[in-house]
Amino acid sequence: MLMLGSMRARTCQGLTRRALLQIGASSVLGLSLADLLRLRAAGPSTSGSARSVLLLWLWGGPAHLDTWDPKPAAPLEFRGPFSPIATSVTGVRIGELFPQLAKQAQRFALVRSLHTGSSDHGVAGTIGLTGSSAGAKGLDGKPQAGSARPALGSVVAKACGTVSKLPPFLVIGGRLHQGKKAIIGEGGGPFGAHYDPFRLEYDPVKGTRIPALQLPPDLTPERLGDRQRLLQAFDGAARQTQQLHANGALDDYRRQAFAMLTSPAASKLFDLGRESASLKDRYGRTRFGQSCLLARRLVEHGVPFVQVNWSDHVEAEEDSGDGGWDHHYRNFQIMQDRHAPWLDRGLSALLDDLHERGLLERTLVVVMGEFGRSPKINDKAGRDHWEHCYSALLAGGGVHGGRVIGSSDARGGHPHDRAVTPADIGATVQHAVGINSEQAATLGLTGPGKVIDELF
Amino acid sequence: MSRIPPVFAFIGLLLIGAVTLRMCPAADPPPLVPTVTRLTKDGDFKQHLQWSPDGKRFLLTRIHDGKMGLWTMNADGSDLKPLVTPPPHTPHFDGHWSMDSKKIVYVHDILQGTDGKLQINSVNADGSDSKVLIPHKAFEESPRWSPDGKRLAWVSTRDGNQEIYTADIGGKDIKRLTSEIALDNNPNWSPDGKRLAFASARAGNFEIFVMDADGGNVRRLTNHRALDYWPVWSPDGKRIAFTSNRDGNYDIYIMNADGSGLRNLTRHAGQDNYATWSPDGKRIAFISNRDGGHDVYVIGMK
Repeated sequence: MLMLGSMRARTCQGLTRRALLQIGASSVLGLSLADLLRLRAAGPSTSGSARSVLLLWLWGGPAHLDTWDPKPAAPLEFRGPFSPIATSVTGVRIGELFPQLAKQAQRFALVRSLHTGSSDHGVAGTIGLTGSSAGAKGLDGKPQAGSARPALGSVVAKACGTVSKLPPFLVIGGRLHQGKKAIIGEGGGPFGAHYDPFRLEYDPVKGTRIPALQLPPDLTPERLGDRQRLLQAFDGAARQTQQLHANGALDDYRRQAFAMLTSPAASKLFDLGRESASLKDRYGRTRFGQSCLLARRLVEHGVPFVQVNWSDHVEAEEDSGDGGWDHHYRNFQIMQDRHAPWLDRGLSALLDDLHERGLLERTLVVVMGEFGRSPKINDKAGRDHWEHCYSALLAGGGVHGGRVIGSSDARGGHPHDRAVTPADIGATVQHAVGINSEQAATLGLTGPGKVIDELF
Repeated sequence: MSRIPPVFAFIGLLLIGAVTLRMCPAADPPPLVPTVTRLTKDGDFKQHLQWSPDGKRFLLTRIHDGKMGLWTMNADGSDLKPLVTPPPHTPHFDGHWSMDSKKIVYVHDILQGTDGKLQINSVNADGSDSKVLIPHKAFEESPRWSPDGKRLAWVSTRDGNQEIYTADIGGKDIKRLTSEIALDNNPNWSPDGKRLAFASARAGNFEIFVMDADGGNVRRLTNHRALDYWPVWSPDGKRIAFTSNRDGNYDIYIMNADGSGLRNLTRHAGQDNYATWSPDGKRIAFISNRDGGHDVYVIGMK
């Protein structure tokens, strides 16, 4: 049965009876209805103020020394050519390529003591997105022990549920991959395909695309009055999504897709032409900048989790310039020419815009990649993978801005104090949206991560 | 009728005088504001702008429709088109004209697996006959013809760090000009071919230096903790333009060839970058995002 626009199930404030019945029937995690009733009895969470999470995923691994953790006193072959600059918070300095962000350091916190368990994009990507290496596949193609855990976005989607007529977990950007291998951990994992992200792509020239619904050129949404043709067109696209078939979730996925495509409200939501030219300029006319603007519109509309993938490629050049942060060569040239100015502009505009609209306090913004880059500059004017120490930026959603959590050693090689893992970031995100430990346990979300209390 | 007390009369006269001064400023003429003309409006990301020596066209790197490549256009911004035919499938960028405007050298990225391999290619200015000039040994980039057309300066990591080299136009007779533990890049020949300006991080952050064409007599021209790079010599050899973020964001700066007389030419909140001189030295073209996207602008020189 087609159920256009009828996806409301749960909110962060509690679970609807209908949703409970649906979940009880589907028993995705093997939870009994009694478990879920107990969950609801725990009442609305008070542990966090975030109603949405916005994850800006800097795929490829940005260099922490050239962004949030400069080391001007390190030897030349470590520090790199960029200087630190003062910020709006006394004593906090960041890389000089981020002057706009420096002006609003009071709005964000930095974690400078992250470390992860692998220097392989594939494995570290899975750890970064799920908090665990279980099920990850690296370049060698061998799976790590265990089954992949759900992505952070899927966790928030499951806990918070759908609060608008849009899916609760949206990714803007292509599917993350290393070479031609897709990364494990971008989806719902044990939660099932119901909690896979719904994917949008934004191109500064062509606008918003819904990859799952790439229709024949002559079949525009305006011509989709013919329901039969619509079904046929979508079925053709959906047939390519083997995982959905395997999980038997095609109907729900299709229902969401139809709802999105045919809803005038959704169509307006995706149309950045409704934003002023000056605001679009503030975000930067880049794919990342405009994706951040689209993300703000989705958050404003109540979507619980939005992930913006800077690129689906790890390499910068592979995607003709706006690829990822895997700068083994030309790191400094690419940083000063493109990546740093684009990130500075897009992220600073996003924080400003969220603040001006009163959304920042209820939106947790997390900016990170899967690892950092080697403190020692390599023989190709680049920096290599570095899992031992890196940084993340967090803002809004109850996070106290202006704080620096943890520190790295003199050359940025290892955490000096307050070592933090991606699992801790995951636990912190859960905390921010109000998933307390009892709820997490009930949902089977227990893990090694601990909330970074100093952020709140 | 009461008289106005002298104190109030004096204050009144002062006020009248102040208003008069404000309304009638001194006869000094207002400072000349250089005229800035916008040449493109597509907004695509652009960099590495180069004005052809004959003054007729521009060469630039552009990301269009998801592809990074070299494009050329007329000096008035018209006829923007891809340079290389047929267009390569891989990124190619940072080109430079020969002095007769008939050939171009550029960086060609030959992707192998997921890794880029940079080499130096040459191509005719009409886009034909692209061929390898400096094969990939390490990461070869920033090729620049010498004014007499006999040699090429470029940047390579072949000795384990980014250094500046020269070679003859056949890619032979390679000479290493710099040998520093820090990065050296952005070489730019002086018009007489006797010196090269370049950017180096040997002092900690990128500064502008000059050296003789054989690598000797290195002199530092800038001394600021901010980022200084992309130096370009004026056609008469008397001045050097470069990019700096010393005032908080990227702007185009001008200084005399000895480092004196520094001034901010563009002074704008947008990012101004990649200066290139007109052949007569009367204008500088640059890339800026001051109107949202990245476009080409021209500013007149006093």
